[in-house]
Amino acid sequence: MEPPNLYPVKLYVYDLSKGLARRLSPIMLGKQLEGIWHTSIVVHKDEFFFGSGGISSCPPGRTLLGPPDSVVDVGSTEVTEEIFLEYLSSLGESLFRSEAYNIFENNCNTFSNEVAQFLTGRKIPSYITDLPSEILSTPFGQALRPFLDSIAIQPPGGSPVGRPNGQS
Amino acid sequence: MPHVIAQTPRMAQCGRHSGLPAEKKISLGVTRVIVKTPGKQEDFVIASDTSVRQFKEKLSAHFKCQMDQLVLVFMGCLLKDHDVLSQRGILDGHTIHVVIKSKNGSRSLAHPWHQDKNTKGNSSGVYQSAGMTPVESALSEDVPKVHTQGLKVGSPEHVAQTLENPSIQQLLSNTDFMRQFISEHLDTQHSMQQNPEVSHILDNSEILWQTLELARNLAVIQEIMQIQQPAQNIESPPNPQSYVGLETVPGWDNASGQSSADFNDQMLNNTQDAFGGNIFTALLGGQVPEQVQFSFPSPPPSQEQQEHLPQPPTARVIYASSRGVSSISSASSTPSMANHTSRASTSNSTNGQSHACAVEQPIGIPALPGRELNQLPQAEGKDATISLDSSNQKPDDLQQSNEQTSSQITGNMMQLLLNNPSLAAQMMMFMSVPQLSEQWRQQLPAFLQQTQFSDILIALANPKASQAILQIEQSLQLLATEAPVLLPWVAPYLWGLGWLPAPSCSYPDTVPWTWDVSNMAEPKGPESCPKSRTVLQRLQSLAGDPSHPLQAPETRFSKQMEYLQAMGFANHHANLQALIATEGDTSAAIQKLRRSQGS
Repeated sequence: MEPPNLYPVKLYVYDLSKGLARRLSPIMLGKQLEGIWHTSIVVHKDEFFFGSGGISSCPPGRTLLGPPDSVVDVGSTEVTEEIFLEYLSSLGESLFRSEAYNIFENNCNTFSNEVAQFLTGRKIPSYITDLPSEILSTPFGQALRPFLDSIAIQPPGGSPVGRPNGQS
Repeated sequence: MPHVIAQTPRMAQCGRHSGLPAEKKISLGVTRVIVKTPGKQEDFVIASDTSVRQFKEKLSAHFKCQMDQLVLVFMGCLLKDHDVLSQRGILDGHTIHVVIKSKNGSRSLAHPWHQDKNTKGNSSGVYQSAGMTPVESALSEDVPKVHTQGLKVGSPEHVAQTLENPSIQQLLSNTDFMRQFISEHLDTQHSMQQNPEVSHILDNSEILWQTLELARNLAVIQEIMQIQQPAQNIESPPNPQSYVGLETVPGWDNASGQSSADFNDQMLNNTQDAFGGNIFTALLGGQVPEQVQFSFPSPPPSQEQQEHLPQPPTARVIYASSRGVSSISSASSTPSMANHTSRASTSNSTNGQSHACAVEQPIGIPALPGRELNQLPQAEGKDATISLDSSNQKPDDLQQSNEQTSSQITGNMMQLLLNNPSLAAQMMMFMSVPQLSEQWRQQLPAFLQQTQFSDILIALANPKASQAILQIEQSLQLLATEAPVLLPWVAPYLWGLGWLPAPSCSYPDTVPWTWDVSNMAEPKGPESCPKSRTVLQRLQSLAGDPSHPLQAPETRFSKQMEYLQAMGFANHHANLQALIATEGDTSAAIQKLRRSQGS
């Protein structure tokens, strides 16, 4: 039995605020946030992320955000590209449809977490997934909530991932 | 034989424990695993020594697919048919991921990557109906970037350019096109579905036209607020445009009436006081007039508080801008540096803020990405509610609505900051020289009233000009760091510019002068602001200090005001300012007033 191929899985982490959150969060929120994190999963030499336009993919680091601020090694997976794309397609039709995007509950980091668990069984670092609750636990965040809820983040530079044939 | 049981509380037959290692916690030979399919998660209880194949049989029956469509993944490993679950380390509570393959063969990602392909496709569809060919090309190139959903990091300059593009301005003037464009925009349609009243607004061409007027004439907003002010200390005559603006707003008179008078009174009177407390209000204020431009394209999404939509929308528009501007205060105040009630900070509004914004970074303002379009309408909706209902100015309603509105606007500001790090850097620098920024902010309304608002915008659109200002800030900072003693020397230059008020304005409840000078010992680079953080934290702690019970200066100084008026100082506004500056010291205020009157 040949050893299974192991594909490395990485998590690209971007700070959407480009350092502003670290400076301004103490004033605005009353607590220190290191950044406003956007993440994507890189596997099979492609970067996958979820935004208001649904699941997208692009060559690694090629969104308009530029290179990631940090890269986390999630592990390795045996899941082949084919299976992974199937998986993404069904995710894109269920949990991660483009209209299902919600900046607090179902965002890019939710997606990355989900995919990371699928691929490797591991979750992404908690400082990323804790971000919405961190923000919402401040009065500022609560006050901003109606506004923030309508924000959708879609880093440009990707193309959608879906089932081209529309069959299941 | 072991049975595979799915989703039933029945326990499996007390199973075969053959060869199971002790550390696997298995009760009665069954394992409860969580089976996760994309979007769903179910619990399965199976016997511990089930093989993968058997599990797949069960799953295929459950998911109604064929076994070879199933792919099981555990901890990143593909489970092969001959594996036994327990041997793969699958224990109680573990999650197995299942992918159900489609019946066709493999697919692969579509290359190459077309960045603007989709957006262009969508937007050009919208614009075709406008039939404006020469503009269309400009639009399809530029506007998709504006209207792409959500946060566009890295292209604020592009958006700014887009909006300064005369063809865009022309478009804004074309009511028909704008109406069409607005109604065809997806977001609009969404909101219309959610909120039928919205369509009334959009159908009313009058409103649209007025909004566009407003958008083209930001100074109108500012002037409107001042129109109501009985006493003005502005040297230049009020902008005649403002009257035009008022005339073009039917319903203004109806709706404004009492509430606006009261409101504006309070506003301008409190401008000086409240304004100083919050740097963000400065920025935010300026934002709102700009945002009015883009507000109507996306009408208010449904909000809990939009009960009063049917009321005169025109007044709403105007009010929205002004109110929205003013109500920034509370949001910014609430979380951080407020030393005043939200009411007082309500008055914080318009003038100073719009000016402040203009001075700070007008280019940054239009650079709000398309999603911001949604925000001000929310503000407007709420604002209208506030302004039209609160002629009595019930404090609670105001405060709550204010906060919600201002929260949106603060959010806009955050967006602005996010998009425009250089702007934030400038802000940081200002904040680190608090005494300068305090006084500058105070002086700003007067300063900017003396010049045309739009001139400022144009002047600062010149990158060299904003660079120059930035340099001034930096040098001031440096001075403050290296030789604070020289700052008073610089003051005369700044007086000439109108940046510093000639008499000293003390602001005991925000930032004492001496306190800050002593803290500026550390050298400080323009980008990294370790000291500013300290400053900001201090400001925040000051803001959080509950020992500042704040009322509107007007109420605080009412007695003194009466006294001053009795003495013959008829300029209500000037009186209030003097009182604020001297913290209620009547005799000092009288001296101030005499000095300013005599000069």
